[in-house]
Amino acid sequence: MKFIGIVGTNATKSTNRKLLQFMQKHFSKKAEIEICEIKGLPAFNQPENRIAPEEIQALSDKVESADGVIIATPEYDHTVPAPLKSVLEWLSYTSRPFIDKPVMIVGASYGALGSSRAQGHLRQILDAPELKARVMPSEEFLLGHSLQAFDDNGDLVYADKVTELEECFDQFLLFVDITDQLIKNHSFQTEKNKNFSWEKVSEGGNN
Amino acid sequence: MKFIGIVGTNAAKSYNRMLLQFMKKHFSDKAEIEILELTDVPMFDESDDQSDSDIIQMFNTKISDADGVIIATPEHNHSVPSALNSILEWMSFNLHPFDGKPVMIVGASLHPQGSSRAQLHLRQILDAPGVNATVMPGSEFLLGQAQKAFDDNGDLKSEGTVDFLESCFTKFQRFTEIANLLNVPEDLNFKPGTFEVTAKGHNGDLPMSVTLSKDRIEDIDIDTSTETKGIADVVFTRIPQEIVKGQTLNVDVISGASITSHGVIDGVARAVKMAGGNPEILKKRPKASNIVQKDEEYTTDVVVVGAGGAGLTAAAKVLDEGKNVIVAEKFPSPGGNTVRAGGPMNAADPEWQNKFDAIPGEAHRLKEIKDMKLDDIDPEYRDDFKKLQKQIGDYLDSDGKYLFDSKLLFRIQTYLGGKRTDLQGNEIHGQYDLVKILTDHALESVKWLEKVGVSFDKNEVTMPVGALWRRGHKPMGPEGFAYIQALQKYIEDNGAKLMTETPVKELIIEDGKIYGVIARGANGQKITIHAESVVLASGGYGANTKMLKKYNTYWTEIDDDIQTSNSPAITGDGIKLGLSAGADLVGMGFSQMMPVSDPDTGELFTGLQVPPANFIMVNQQGKRFVNEYGSRDQLTQAAIDNGSLFYLIADDEIKKTAYNTSQEKLDAQVKAGTLFRDDTLEGLAKQLKIDPEVLVDTIKKYNSYVDAGSDPEFGKDVFDLKVVKAPFYATPRKPAVHHTMGGLKIDTGTHVLNKDGEIIDGLYAAGEVAGGLHAGNRLGGNSLADIFTFGRIAGENSVEDKVLD
Repeated sequence: MKFIGIVGTNATKSTNRKLLQFMQKHFSKKAEIEICEIKGLPAFNQPENRIAPEEIQALSDKVESADGVIIATPEYDHTVPAPLKSVLEWLSYTSRPFIDKPVMIVGASYGALGSSRAQGHLRQILDAPELKARVMPSEEFLLGHSLQAFDDNGDLVYADKVTELEECFDQFLLFVDITDQLIKNHSFQTEKNKNFSWEKVSEGGNN
Repeated sequence: MKFIGIVGTNAAKSYNRMLLQFMKKHFSDKAEIEILELTDVPMFDESDDQSDSDIIQMFNTKISDADGVIIATPEHNHSVPSALNSILEWMSFNLHPFDGKPVMIVGASLHPQGSSRAQLHLRQILDAPGVNATVMPGSEFLLGQAQKAFDDNGDLKSEGTVDFLESCFTKFQRFTEIANLLNVPEDLNFKPGTFEVTAKGHNGDLPMSVTLSKDRIEDIDIDTSTETKGIADVVFTRIPQEIVKGQTLNVDVISGASITSHGVIDGVARAVKMAGGNPEILKKRPKASNIVQKDEEYTTDVVVVGAGGAGLTAAAKVLDEGKNVIVAEKFPSPGGNTVRAGGPMNAADPEWQNKFDAIPGEAHRLKEIKDMKLDDIDPEYRDDFKKLQKQIGDYLDSDGKYLFDSKLLFRIQTYLGGKRTDLQGNEIHGQYDLVKILTDHALESVKWLEKVGVSFDKNEVTMPVGALWRRGHKPMGPEGFAYIQALQKYIEDNGAKLMTETPVKELIIEDGKIYGVIARGANGQKITIHAESVVLASGGYGANTKMLKKYNTYWTEIDDDIQTSNSPAITGDGIKLGLSAGADLVGMGFSQMMPVSDPDTGELFTGLQVPPANFIMVNQQGKRFVNEYGSRDQLTQAAIDNGSLFYLIADDEIKKTAYNTSQEKLDAQVKAGTLFRDDTLEGLAKQLKIDPEVLVDTIKKYNSYVDAGSDPEFGKDVFDLKVVKAPFYATPRKPAVHHTMGGLKIDTGTHVLNKDGEIIDGLYAAGEVAGGLHAGNRLGGNSLADIFTFGRIAGENSVEDKVLD
């Protein structure tokens, strides 16, 4: 299996990056996880031509070819950070690689809550018709007190959290299989979805 | 009423912009709405703070000044656009203009939803603690199918929609009035009296008395007698001053001392509560330092930058010469790194030293020096070296039982101790003329200090940590602070002006000559000091990791989070000032580390302070990695090679030899997590995340070396305690920056030189800000000798040169 892990922030110091790096190392026997950074990507500005900048297209291609995507999101002001949202806006507005893509959400925060509200928002966002990702339901991985969570080797020091993450990841592997069957055996208008647009909806043209 | 309308997208075409423009026009007789665009707002990045940029400041000011804010949000993917997130993140990072601000949410979208889900997200976002807006409940305005909603004039077509928008807006106007009542400062009344609370000190809680009158904080008195003298003063004087001056608890914490700063603020808050007041009101008041004062201008003979030992000494000499001096100090109290010094300063004083008996090993050490090959000595030191060989020969021949010393031994040891080669193969050793000045005149500095009011303990001659010989003159009284206390009194009694919290920002340079400095006052005012000469005595750059890393050529690696034993004020400011005048630099790649420092604070005096005979150093794998008696540089490089963090392992017997601790302090440190303790070695290993088998094996081997009296692994040859008796202790340690040897290039008259070796007219430098003397390694006890000797020269010359002009 080949996954893309998206670091949900442009900050230089990020425990969400550490979490993905730990997952990359810890699950290296089960899957290959390529970590993608969003630092420095252009801010979404809704250009009329609907063409993604080069760097966004590169990320889009990676998402497109991956078997699944893991997003690690911090929480800023009860929601996901602007830079992560900007990337999702680009992808939803241009190439739409997330359609039918299995997604696992994880998140880390300095406080006790572990980015719970940002994760809730992220699920709703990924459910939007232009993204239409297949987000793994009923499983969430919230890492609180993340500043103390990693040792100098980058290993997660909370044993119970490691077990939880392992279970969560195994479920995701299964979920990717199941989703694959769902999609392959019934092509649920994937192509049509890729061409969805609110302008058309509002003119009564798409559905 | 004045509102700000924020268009929640940076898109060129936006129905939300049209909606706000319609509102602006339609409600122009009721309120003024100024529309702000997100187009130029940079993407939020917490690692690149742009809070001070024009665009972010503009948003901050306009929102702060407005009665309320209307946000018009589109919906992107069930949420608000990232551009809107980004500005809200900037407005909740270091600036908080939304705090308590009335906000109305509206939204338009192409689909029938009318941004319903984005609006719900936006409400949650505005509720976040960093934003903390007061959002109007109810009256949701959702404009669906917006592309059909406006006519060619940009007016809303549907009368019903306009009616509803009017009712929402009218409600928002009333809501704004009522919500802003919450922002009116509450009256604060205290039950007058003095309230006893505590503040958090470095060594435990400190008693604090807060005196309150009916409506004022009159006085805050903190008993700092248990704190290390000098260091604590910054927090425990400045924070109370600011609280009383501004009648506010909204004060900036002192960088590098946030825990103790908050301790004072929290203590005063508790006193306010005890007096029946609400501390939250005081926390919301404006900062005292926001009250900008008028610019100031002074004229004097000499201005000294930095009020550590070197600066105060230079100032004292200027006064001795009958001239005026102003000392500008960045921090709230004088002292710099000098107050953190262990105390003894080196000076060869054979007459005094000869009264003491020699101790075992000293004759051997002398013989080693005498037997060195002349070829190994750099040419400029050879004459002195030959004379020293003869001195030592005579002493050894006479079978001297007394402690030997001479200026020449001091000179050659300073030279040999400073000789290093960096990673690029560059050799450095002390510049002969500077080393000669130091070693010839250090004793005069001791005598001069005695005149100023420092008394020395003549009953003991000590070898400072990291020194090579017993020639330390130890002041009576509290270590490094003893010097500062005496010097400060001396210069103030003799009419110097000491300006604290006055960082010097630039030199006044005209036609290549220095004519004074421009500094910034505590309240942001510009302070111009005109002077005939400027003495830079601002210290090195041990607390400036970026600068260390930039110049480093000696260590294989310097961690981003490396700590320092230095004052947080020591950030290379004087070196930057010198560079602005074209100064040359020397030896900048060489810095000195204290290998055995607290990993979190860089402090030297935490954990268990015991001789290396009594502990075992193990790395993060639980293995020994170095001879515990290695030199500072050996220990530091070994630690860096082993991932920096390491542990000192010891057993219960250690308490008897630790000179800095008590059972109570040990317990407190274990509780605070700065010291590990366990009843078994296996348990201790687990706490350290070390494989228990490895640690147990390491200790077993070490104990056998102690029994055998020799260490085949690392050659340790002095042993005392084994590790056998539970409980067992592990003190975490990491190298910390201790001294920076490099700095401005100076001549023996402390003139700062430019790249052509010419004197920069009117500019002098003394102490750690200057380079060339200590070269690759500074001997313990030599920094104090340096600052008082070169500080005196700088003070004298800064006046004399003026006369010569």
